[in-house]
Amino acid sequence: MSVNTAMIEKYRNDFLKEVEENVEEGHWVKMCMQCGVCSGSCPFGPHWEHPPQEIFMMIRAGKRDEVLGSESMWMCTSCYNCIVRCPRELPITHIMHGLANYAHRLGLAPKMNPTRRFAKIFWDNIAKTGRVNELGLSLNLYFMDGFGSGVKKATAMAGVGVGMLRTKRLNPFALVRHKGVQNPKEFQSLLKKAKEVEDRRKGLAG
Amino acid sequence: MTDAVATNETILVVGGGISGLTAALETAECGKNVILIEKNPSVGGRVSQLYKYFPKLCRPSCGQEINYRRLKANKRVRVLTMAEVVNIKGAAGDYTVGVSIRPRYVNENCTSCGACAEVVSAEIDDPFNYNMKKIKAAYLPHNMAYPQRYVLDPSIVGPEEGERAKAACKYDAIELDMQEQALELKAGAIIWATGWKPYDAAKIQPYGYDRFPNVVTSVEFERMMDPFGPTGGRMLRPSDGKEARNIAFIQCAGSRDRNHLKHCSRICCMATLKQSTYLQEQYGDDSEAQATIYYIDIRAIDRFEDFYKKVQADPKVRFVKSKVANITEDRDTHDVFLHGVNTEGYHRYDNTHDLCVLAVGMEPSVRAEQINGNVAGDASGFIEMHEANGAIFGAGCASNALDVNRAVQSATAAALRAIQVVNRVAGAEV
Amino acid sequence: MSETKTAMYICNGCGLGDRLDTDSLGKLAQSEGKCTIVRQHDFLCNRDGVDTIRRDIDDDGVTHVVIAACSRRAKTEAFGFDDVALGRANLREGVIWVRPDTEEARETTQEMAEDYVRMACAEIRYMQRPEGNPNTGDNKRILVVGGGVSGMAAAVEASKAGYEVLLVEKSGELGGWAARLYKRVPNREPFSDPQDTGVEDLVKTVEHDKNITVFLSSVITRTSGAPGQFSVDISAESGTTSTENVGSIIQASGFSNFDAARLPELGFGASADVVDQAGLELLAGKAGDGPITRPSDGKEVASVVFVQCAGQRSDKPGHLPYCSGHCCNTSIKQAMYFKDTNPDVDTLLLYSDLRTPGNGEDFYRSAQRKGVTFTKGQVREVQTANGALVVKFRDMILDDDAEARADLVVLATGQVPNSGIDIEPAAAEDENEGSGVDAASNNNAAVEVPLESVLNLDYRQGPDLPHLRHGFNDSHFICFPYETRRSGIYTCGPVRRPMDIAQALEDATGAALKAIQAVENASLGRAAHPRSGDLSFPSFRKEGCTQCKRCTVECPFGAIDEDEQRYPVFNESRCRRCGTCMGACPVRVIYFESYSVDTVGQQVKAVQMPDETEEKPRFLVLACENDAYPALDMAAQQGLQYSPFVRVVPVRCLGSVNTIWVTDALNSGYDGVMLMGCKKGDEYQCHFVKGSEMAHYRMSKIDDTLQQLQLEVERVETYEVEITDIQRAPKLIDDYVNRVNEIGMNPFKGF
Repeated sequence: MSVNTAMIEKYRNDFLKEVEENVEEGHWVKMCMQCGVCSGSCPFGPHWEHPPQEIFMMIRAGKRDEVLGSESMWMCTSCYNCIVRCPRELPITHIMHGLANYAHRLGLAPKMNPTRRFAKIFWDNIAKTGRVNELGLSLNLYFMDGFGSGVKKATAMAGVGVGMLRTKRLNPFALVRHKGVQNPKEFQSLLKKAKEVEDRRKGLAG
Repeated sequence: MTDAVATNETILVVGGGISGLTAALETAECGKNVILIEKNPSVGGRVSQLYKYFPKLCRPSCGQEINYRRLKANKRVRVLTMAEVVNIKGAAGDYTVGVSIRPRYVNENCTSCGACAEVVSAEIDDPFNYNMKKIKAAYLPHNMAYPQRYVLDPSIVGPEEGERAKAACKYDAIELDMQEQALELKAGAIIWATGWKPYDAAKIQPYGYDRFPNVVTSVEFERMMDPFGPTGGRMLRPSDGKEARNIAFIQCAGSRDRNHLKHCSRICCMATLKQSTYLQEQYGDDSEAQATIYYIDIRAIDRFEDFYKKVQADPKVRFVKSKVANITEDRDTHDVFLHGVNTEGYHRYDNTHDLCVLAVGMEPSVRAEQINGNVAGDASGFIEMHEANGAIFGAGCASNALDVNRAVQSATAAALRAIQVVNRVAGAEV
Repeated sequence: MSETKTAMYICNGCGLGDRLDTDSLGKLAQSEGKCTIVRQHDFLCNRDGVDTIRRDIDDDGVTHVVIAACSRRAKTEAFGFDDVALGRANLREGVIWVRPDTEEARETTQEMAEDYVRMACAEIRYMQRPEGNPNTGDNKRILVVGGGVSGMAAAVEASKAGYEVLLVEKSGELGGWAARLYKRVPNREPFSDPQDTGVEDLVKTVEHDKNITVFLSSVITRTSGAPGQFSVDISAESGTTSTENVGSIIQASGFSNFDAARLPELGFGASADVVDQAGLELLAGKAGDGPITRPSDGKEVASVVFVQCAGQRSDKPGHLPYCSGHCCNTSIKQAMYFKDTNPDVDTLLLYSDLRTPGNGEDFYRSAQRKGVTFTKGQVREVQTANGALVVKFRDMILDDDAEARADLVVLATGQVPNSGIDIEPAAAEDENEGSGVDAASNNNAAVEVPLESVLNLDYRQGPDLPHLRHGFNDSHFICFPYETRRSGIYTCGPVRRPMDIAQALEDATGAALKAIQAVENASLGRAAHPRSGDLSFPSFRKEGCTQCKRCTVECPFGAIDEDEQRYPVFNESRCRRCGTCMGACPVRVIYFESYSVDTVGQQVKAVQMPDETEEKPRFLVLACENDAYPALDMAAQQGLQYSPFVRVVPVRCLGSVNTIWVTDALNSGYDGVMLMGCKKGDEYQCHFVKGSEMAHYRMSKIDDTLQQLQLEVERVETYEVEITDIQRAPKLIDDYVNRVNEIGMNPFKGF
């Protein structure tokens, strides 16, 4: 049984409860009074299929697939406008990230969502050595959609790259030798521990 | 009148707005002696500044006229204006209240003939019109002012303007050397009716009240409708004096908001519904005149529902279920743009309006805990009914966010609570 | 009665001395006005001026005083001589402030002043100092009808002030609806949990209060009398009746629950698991701290849906058009009954506007914290299917049809007031030809109230208080929530307006104060609101009375009854002193000591009528003293002007205007008569209810008379003027004057 089906089984019709128990800050969802100030405050507003307040309503209405499969919460850029304005003090930004994260873990997040893919690339990059390999990250991003478009994007950014080289903001040798944290072993065990704690908290252990 | 004799059977009413006036009159008409203390130069409070009442759309001054007539006819009420309570000592049935009276520079001889105002040239901001207008520094606070007596602003009390005013008065009514006065009054019970103040709209940063001239508050809008107000009774935009026809009303401006006032101020929905009818009054059937009400819930409680239905049927009025996210303005025209989402079905809007009225919330003028250091109140500062308060009773909007009708009701109840105390003091078995 | 001695005091202050020839005014007062003493003073309202008057009264036996100075609304306290008959000639706001200070205007201004002096002298000649109603009772007991929370609170609060109370309850026990609640909505910080109702304590307090006598299983079968002297029959179910005397009455007859059987579309009746809020309270009470079970099969409720505004805020026939105010908070409280016992119970609340004013917002938040789900939705139907309920609704946020399955559905239905018999439709049917005023149109058709009288008043106008709207016995006035239309009888609690316990407690306290005030004033012979303190009262000359009943029918306060011979019985303590009866009386036999057909009629006649050739028309303005007259005063204060040809007479109420004043005026040469009253209609402003309405009607009838006299009907006009019509009122006058001038002078001049 996949994690997703396990969750469906566990919460049957109660998606709100599922969110409360599994999503970071999910217990705040019920506090929304549908004023819509968050939806209007988001600078990415027009691009949202379902703005935060609507997502909260959908959660209450049990629209599990639509919410978790939505591109919407991946739009959040953490500008915190919504949190500042929310009359109920909901940590909306965090809930959006929590929902995205949860959808991703359940394998329901839209596969091609660029934010999700960026986050994945970023994570894989940093998790390797404990420090971001900026050059590697950039190249990975450029070539995310295939070789052709990667070359195009890289060429377009060449000027910037040369400039950065000149001002020593970019180390060309990072491709071959990237300096990680001092004690990579300890870093890896730290990550492992953190994952265990997180999984336990979300009831995913075992 | 400052020689008011008071005993521990006297009831002290603090605040001369509709609640304080009511408490004082109802108490006095039961045969009790009352001293009414008002901070401003005239009684009447905030209702005097209202253009109309909801839901009848009648005039607040009509009821005030009756109340002033009751006041003039009743020798048991003494009114002290420009007076404030400084401290309260003692306990239920035996209070000693320190009162400080600011100088008015005009004594009881004043016939309100207006000769002083004619010779004074200095002008001051008119607090009655929320400083949207200038008035002479020798002034009658407003048309219905009671006591009907002029006031000299302290800024002109001096050799030039002050002396000129004094010279113009044939009745020795102007006393330039009037000093602040301190009184001690006995009282058996105290009715605290200091009312409310509008929430400071500038604190609601995204609405730009402090930045955009065409964002005004509901209380200011009310003054604009008065023929003697800052715009001569017309809906003129502060930016350019042009008629505002396309008007936005934003509900819960400060209320129901953990960042501002956590309580619902109760009156704002009805106040906005009322104000939306002013468009019909000003522009008749002009189809360009439009009110848009942005709301979370319309709280037209009990019989007020009738009024809500009437407004809903008005083609001039549109309802959008939305808490407006923010306001921007056109720098050239000063039109305001309201941004947000209509949550009924998710419709995003960026609406242009001539004028935006913020239905500002209500907070107590004096917070409970500021009264005598220990009066029990709720988290918003409204006075609660509590044994620890002794014989200090909240009335009207000092005790809750209330409409006029409920404030009067509350004041009438407070009057009885005070009477119960002084009757006990008097051992008056009826 | 002691000898009449009239004195006039003419003030020369505020420019009066400069603008007017006050010496000739004085001579006029002496010669035409028959004043024994006439004095002038430079500053009449100061200590010296007032002392002068005081000395004349004390030492010289002056009984009638006329102050010729400012408006009666100014310096009222300084000139408050209440031991004499007092008149005011308004020379400041009425004359010099509304006229330009020009040489040209001097003559007409002086004429205006002279006329006001003549009028004041004529008025005072027919005035007596009001002595107070002699027909008083001094019973200070208070009757409270209804033993619910409102009634008990009113009783306890009145008792705490030292008054004796009779509390009559229809059922066999005290407590009313509130006693059937499991818990109540909180009224103190932190406003987060249901709270004990406190009803048991209140019942105990009542039962132990030696000032309070409780009559259970009893109703009021007759009420007669007036404030300070009511007599009531209290009849017990057992058949015994006791007659008691009380000074005032508080009606706290409460509400009935809306009959949910009228909502079959919401499943009430079809399933036992659809209940109303009262039904849920019973279930919760039964469950106590344990889980609530559903009525049909005793199964523990695992899911519940609350349907707000069930049969309320609705225009459908048989539904309630209003909002009952408390139901949002009540449903929140009830949802907490479930959540507090078992957080896993699904609680869904479907609302259209969530109405939790004040700190109710905390209660709302608390419910959300506890996991109550709130959805803005319009419920269409509640279906029953296989032992479960399905609530079909439109989700207004997601704009989607949705449904929720539930073990139990709670309908938030409304409060229907127990306000007794609606006497106005009855009166309208029985309409006397004298009155053309329709019973205030009311929306009561939709709301059925129990047709059982609460008070059984033996009043001429019917057994209960007039309803305001939707059957509620509320006050019509925003500033005066206790202003009922029957003196000495006050309503409180949900019979007045839909409300919750917190409001009812406050309301009851206020009503208790009014009841106390009523008995205190009644024993002194003084009027109640709005002319509170007025000592004048109506009398009539029986020999002239034709028993036409107009006064008894038209009295807005039901103060006047009829005796066996159909003569009016005035019940002075019930009277509010508006003078509507005086205005109604076709044979002019009704009068007050200080206000009568003569006090105004003689003023009308006292005005000097220039003949046609002088081209100085004369207009009479009868102005309501509460709205139009102050508006004109304030216009004067603002320096606005109007025609010097009008003579303004303030009247207590336009309802007191007797048509004889109008016809006499026209007969004696006035070119027109203008009536300025307040707003009429549904949202009437008149504090005597129908005054303005009545005047409009009566003046429409006067047209026939005018036509008989071959006078143009335009000469008599009635206007609605608000107190804020400071700019409009003078303009109305001028426009009117111009219009009549175009018609031409009254041909009756000089006859």
